[in-house]
Amino acid sequence: MTELDPVIHAQARLRVVATLASLAPDDRIAFPRLQKLLDMTAGNLSTHLRRLEEAGYVTITKTHEGRTPATYVQLTGTGRVAFDQYTTTLRAVLGGAS
Amino acid sequence: MDDETDPAPGSAAEALSIISAQRRVAWQTVPSSALLFLVWGGAWLVGYGALWLSADDRGRPSVAAAVLAVALAVAAVATTIVHSVARTRGIAGDSARQGALYGWAWFVGYLAMGWIISALGAAGASYEVVGLAANSTAALVAGLLYLAGGILWRATAMYVLGAWIALVGAASAFAGLPTSYLWLSLAGGGGMLTAGLVEAVRRRAAP
Repeated sequence: MTELDPVIHAQARLRVVATLASLAPDDRIAFPRLQKLLDMTAGNLSTHLRRLEEAGYVTITKTHEGRTPATYVQLTGTGRVAFDQYTTTLRAVLGGAS
Repeated sequence: MDDETDPAPGSAAEALSIISAQRRVAWQTVPSSALLFLVWGGAWLVGYGALWLSADDRGRPSVAAAVLAVALAVAAVATTIVHSVARTRGIAGDSARQGALYGWAWFVGYLAMGWIISALGAAGASYEVVGLAANSTAALVAGLLYLAGGILWRATAMYVLGAWIALVGAASAFAGLPTSYLWLSLAGGGGMLTAGLVEAVRRRAAP
């Protein structure tokens, strides 16, 4: 395959990024809700998110709702562009292969 | 690729199918317009249908039919709120704000409509005038808000439904009482049910 972004091109991280990319551009999602949508363990999801955060593809915001701490995850503009590029490349690969 | 714990998808086709599967999963974070159109379509069909069926020769529905219509409306409001809150739990940002403002717009619309109808009655409008005004303004408020929703969420079916409800509701006033109830039941409720089915089929066919 030609130059697929290695940060996204991994089964679990692809699922994370694809889910975040399906939200509206300025939306963020609470960690537990994202975890439920992905059906991943908290530890596993945290690991993938850290990797995505290092690449600048997601931002993780820690906040408080009343007295309970809450963590929100959002795809960055860079992350969205990278994901669009990734899907474009996939389609090109598929189109070229057939 | 570089991760032992997170292998790359086997092929481009597999990667694309992962993406489309996740897109479907993410729909769980958005209220289902198909479900809500079906709930409201059913409420209008049965509620206004009961008002029409029970109307006497002067066009007055029975108390039982009026109670049923109000109960259906309350149930539909409750379903809408519970469903929307459950679906959007944990989602923050622009769309949450938009959704909340949109919800309040319905409240404002029907509050204003209630005042207009009360004022017409207080000003001496006849039973039929009050009834026709209530039916057509109820449809106008719903129609305009569906139009707005269609614009907001780029939802064509919702926009078309809004135009249909507003115009059918307004035209129903020419039919007089109790026929106006029948218009709202069949054309109004029926229109919402149709939009609900269209949305459900479209969702199923989406990649």
